[in-house]
Amino acid sequence: MTTFVASYQSEWLKTKRSLAAWLVVLGGFFIPFILFWARVLYPEKLKKAVLAPTYWEEVLSQSWQFMAILMLPMGLVLATSLLTQMEFRNNTWKQLHTTPQSYTTIFVAKLGVLLTMLVQFFILFNLGMYLSGILPPLVRGISLPKQAFPWEMYLKTSGHFWINCLPIVGFQYLVSLQFKNFLVPLGAGIGLLLASLIGLEWEHGHWLPYSYCSYYFFSLRGAKMGTLTVDAFSKWALGYFVGFTLLSYFFYILKKDKS
Amino acid sequence: MYCIETSDLSYQYSRQGNELHRVNLRVKEGSIYGFLGPNGAGKTTTLKLILGLLKKQQGQIKVFGEEFAPHRQPVLSKIGSLIESPSLYSQLTATENLSVWQKLYACPKARIQEVLELVGLGQTGTKKAGQFSLGMKQRLGIATALLHSPSVLVLDEPTNGLDPSGMVEMRELLKRLNKEHGITILISSHLLSEIEKLVTEVGIINHGKMLFEGSLGELMQRQQTAGGIRLDTSNNAEAVERLIAQGLDARQEQGKIVLPLLARSEIAQLNRALVQHQLDVYEISTVESDLESIFMTLTHP
Repeated sequence: MTTFVASYQSEWLKTKRSLAAWLVVLGGFFIPFILFWARVLYPEKLKKAVLAPTYWEEVLSQSWQFMAILMLPMGLVLATSLLTQMEFRNNTWKQLHTTPQSYTTIFVAKLGVLLTMLVQFFILFNLGMYLSGILPPLVRGISLPKQAFPWEMYLKTSGHFWINCLPIVGFQYLVSLQFKNFLVPLGAGIGLLLASLIGLEWEHGHWLPYSYCSYYFFSLRGAKMGTLTVDAFSKWALGYFVGFTLLSYFFYILKKDKS
Repeated sequence: MYCIETSDLSYQYSRQGNELHRVNLRVKEGSIYGFLGPNGAGKTTTLKLILGLLKKQQGQIKVFGEEFAPHRQPVLSKIGSLIESPSLYSQLTATENLSVWQKLYACPKARIQEVLELVGLGQTGTKKAGQFSLGMKQRLGIATALLHSPSVLVLDEPTNGLDPSGMVEMRELLKRLNKEHGITILISSHLLSEIEKLVTEVGIINHGKMLFEGSLGELMQRQQTAGGIRLDTSNNAEAVERLIAQGLDARQEQGKIVLPLLARSEIAQLNRALVQHQLDVYEISTVESDLESIFMTLTHP
């Protein structure tokens, strides 16, 4: 019978040339690309910036500023929905469900690919941030930043963002598996994102599952977000993700028509 | 032995009415079983139930002699299927599409080229499946179904959208698969003419009920018994009365007299009798009902 590894490989192959795969690559490099040009076009500012002992922290903060609040959640809404809806679009659920593998294997393999693509995005974004920080001084012939590149800080920040955006993946996966119409997961995603942004200053804003990336970003900037700590946001995010995933699994397994 | 067997299979989508009502279908090993019925008769629902795409509500489904549900995975590893339109990832090439399924069935990679050659898609190269014609897509769907060398093929209207030459090609391919590779085929269609040259066994379904199941020979037998004689005289009403008086099952239909089939000598005798009663006979002809009309009679009683 089909093993999980084979199922995962098969799911991974489906992402080839898909819109979601392009979105990961373009999304990962989009903001670093803009920031690269912003630094190249303003060499005086760049000269001052590279001398500062916190140059890489600035690069990180500027990059995440545009990414955390809107682009990452929106990108996730789009990529998760596009990837999951691929089976509806191509009329392939019926073929997939007549392969000799359990429904659980299919469910976990698909989710596994989604989470891997999210990791892929974070790797590309971190690479992009590094290049957008190191290339402009080289292009402009300015001395390189004195500060060593703080890999650990970058990875830790990305790790936090990765956890904080999991509820978005979980919910979009749930809705995309249930509805054939692409507009349903898209509309639900945009609606929840807007609700979360509006509710950021609400005392119970942390109840809103799409808000944790924004909360984490503002806490990075030193803003106090209610009474909750960074770790508490991550726990809420993980809780929502587990909840959405379990719900999604049961809906998927219990679906009467699997064609 | 039956490859596929359903007993009293019933299914309803909603509370109103049954989609399927006690369907008994038996597909013999090595046969080509034509599953016929008009659109909406319940063919696709039956096939989806056999493949586990719909959750069984009532009845029994056995594949290779085993209950389907508890043996779902081993049973599915021996079945190839094409339900309605083919399932293809439009951004992938034919080879990449088959690679997706090859990994799941864990069959040798060499099978991909083999089945592509078999369905005539060996030279499609880097062309994406989304750019294929309908016929090519259908053939790629068949290639997917054949990839893991299944013992049974379940095909739901595989010739839908194909041009006449495409239909002939598909028929020849299926015949070859059955003869040379011993694959049992369960194929559904709403057109008898399309598959009568292909199948050995026939099942006819309408409104969710099986109306006929048997060999093509048995269906042909019905063709003969369903035939009759048509008569036209100067006074059909009087002629019918006289024929009934002679013990014949005569009736008027669309301005003509219709009788069951008779021997040649009986027809001559009948003609003489009518003329003796001053009735002019304008036409005597035999009506041979073809398979299509039997199908129509069964599905539109």
